[in-house]
Amino acid sequence: METSLSQRIYIFTATCCLLFVGIILSALWSIQTVELALSRDNYAQQVDNQTNLLIQLVTEDNIYASDYSDKKWLDSQRNLSNLLELSPALTPQLKTIQNSINSQNKSVKLLFKKITDNQLKNASVVIREHLKARLMTQLEAIKSESFQLSAIAYKDIHNTMKQVIFFILILFVVSIAVLLYCAFKLTKTFSTSLKEVKKAFAKNHSGHFQEIELSIKTKEFNSIANAFNSMNQKLSETTVSLEVMKKIVEERTHILEELSNTDPLTKIANRRALFERGKMEFSRAIRNKSKLALLLLDCDFFKRINDDFGHLVGDEFLIHICKICHQEIRDIDFLARYGGEEFLIILPNCDLSGGFETANRIQESLARHCRVINNKEVCTTLSIGISVLSDKHHNFDQLINDADLAMYQAKKNGRNRIEVNKSHPLH
Amino acid sequence: MPKYKVSIAVSKTPLSTPFYVAQAINAFDNTCVTVQFDEVIGGQVAFTKVMNGDVDFGTSSDSVIAFQSLAQKNFVTHAMFVQSDNDVKLITRPTDNINSIIDLKGKRIGVTKGTASEYFLSILLALEGLTVKDIILSHHKPDQLVDSFISNKVDAITPWEPFVFQSKTLLNQRIKIHETKNLNTLSFNLISQMADDLLVEKAKCIIQGLAIATNYIATNPYKSKIIVIKKLNVSPEFIDWVWPDYVFKLALNQSLVLSIKSQAAWAVATQMSEFNKLPNVKHFIDNRAMLQVDHAAVNINL
Repeated sequence: METSLSQRIYIFTATCCLLFVGIILSALWSIQTVELALSRDNYAQQVDNQTNLLIQLVTEDNIYASDYSDKKWLDSQRNLSNLLELSPALTPQLKTIQNSINSQNKSVKLLFKKITDNQLKNASVVIREHLKARLMTQLEAIKSESFQLSAIAYKDIHNTMKQVIFFILILFVVSIAVLLYCAFKLTKTFSTSLKEVKKAFAKNHSGHFQEIELSIKTKEFNSIANAFNSMNQKLSETTVSLEVMKKIVEERTHILEELSNTDPLTKIANRRALFERGKMEFSRAIRNKSKLALLLLDCDFFKRINDDFGHLVGDEFLIHICKICHQEIRDIDFLARYGGEEFLIILPNCDLSGGFETANRIQESLARHCRVINNKEVCTTLSIGISVLSDKHHNFDQLINDADLAMYQAKKNGRNRIEVNKSHPLH
Repeated sequence: MPKYKVSIAVSKTPLSTPFYVAQAINAFDNTCVTVQFDEVIGGQVAFTKVMNGDVDFGTSSDSVIAFQSLAQKNFVTHAMFVQSDNDVKLITRPTDNINSIIDLKGKRIGVTKGTASEYFLSILLALEGLTVKDIILSHHKPDQLVDSFISNKVDAITPWEPFVFQSKTLLNQRIKIHETKNLNTLSFNLISQMADDLLVEKAKCIIQGLAIATNYIATNPYKSKIIVIKKLNVSPEFIDWVWPDYVFKLALNQSLVLSIKSQAAWAVATQMSEFNKLPNVKHFIDNRAMLQVDHAAVNINL
């Protein structure tokens, strides 16, 4: 069951109050019990005093004397009887003693009355002394009873104090234990919940949206957790993490890079990519003192194709040529659209004969793969100019320029042929 | 804890209620004794049984103790467990017109010798300045007192309960019970032969059981009455008749010493006893057991 912190604090406070009320009540109870025991003791003392007075009167006065006045005795006797009637509340055991005192008192009264009524004028000294002794015995019995009553009252006080001290001690120990336990539980609830909230905040800070999972359920912390979790939910919906962002940027950059390096029609490298790669291959060939050949391919009579079949067909032819070239070059070779119907192939680690072979393969493959347009086979040819890296080349542009010159030479010499710009190879 | 078997001669009277209740509520179970009762008629028989060694303990009235102390018997009193201010009563015939004690002069009166019965009569007479010499005294066993009264052998008797109630039931209107309440207090006590340490230990355990029973009687008077009614097989009317006169409580007081002393002196002075040397009553009191059970209930200087 979910209890709120405030409820727990209320319960904690109520428990404290209850325990303190318990201590106060037990103290009050003990005061009352001790007071009652004291009143019993006081009562017993008074009975004892009164009995002593009567004993004194019997001892000192000659009760058989003709001029004996029983006034003092009767007064004391009345006092004792009145006192016995006003006894404090007594336990059954004490009541038994009280009954005994009452009985003895009645005996004393009756005996004294019998003695003084008759004055036992004719009685012998023996009789007189014996009856006096009996009277003393009865009074002594009252004294003994009051002594016992007093002793029991003292015992009661002692027992009550012992009980109360024991009870208060037990209550005290229980109180301390309960309070410590409650305080520990409350502190634990606070510290654990705060730690869990703090942890969730820290995680949030580092961009990991984590919900607060409370191990101790309390109404207050639950509401904080719920508010935090719903805020987190919204944040995670609207916020893109740094890593995701990086990934997106990389993807987009890659796409953009591809777009900027690719010819949109033929999907091969464009002129920009060509120069980037060409310069790189040129530098590498110079650095590694390796060979490098360039093929510049120009579609023959491409204008006629455009005019005869339309630009779309012309475009298809350009794509077709790219496909053929791709099939005939190596993986390390690089095909790019140089412009219009011109293509350029960079052949790293390739000498003139290699370039020638590649150019030949392309021409042959193209001759074999004609296009069928309107049920009519249409073929196209390429004029290819080859340039090979030589010591006269100081940059990639010069190499292209030589290939260009060779290609023009091929055009000039009748198209569908391969011309080489002759110069001394560099290596 | 060792468990001793003890036998107690218990006088068959409601005065022995603490013993019956102790047995009924198993008050001796947690003490060191298992108790066997030997029921007798009158404390004097119980006393004899104790002295003969037939039983370990007995119950006797202070009067019996007083008379026996004169004989210098080797016995001790351990505790008083009950007192009654109206146990022994004077019974006469209405036709004899005995209205006050003085009218007893010259009459034949039956008593049980050496018991509270005899002492009670002497006190009644003394209060009027008379002695046993002024009457014709005859001695009877307790259970034969009523018979001697019925058979007209005596004019008056001083029996104790339950014989007074029996007479009342038997003779109804033909007897007169004189109002003598509070004229003599009688107590019943636990006695044994002169006690060694073991006997004191046993007495302590018996008193512990009696203390439990006494508390039970104080808090459960109704249940206690039923126990006695069943045990003695007497009518509830009888118990209701005697109960108000009883105070069940354990004590060993100076008043007991004084009572025994005065009764012994009286017996000597009135020649009720064949002995004439007054004993030191304190020799017949042993407070060791009682002190161990309830220190506050002992008020005696030995």
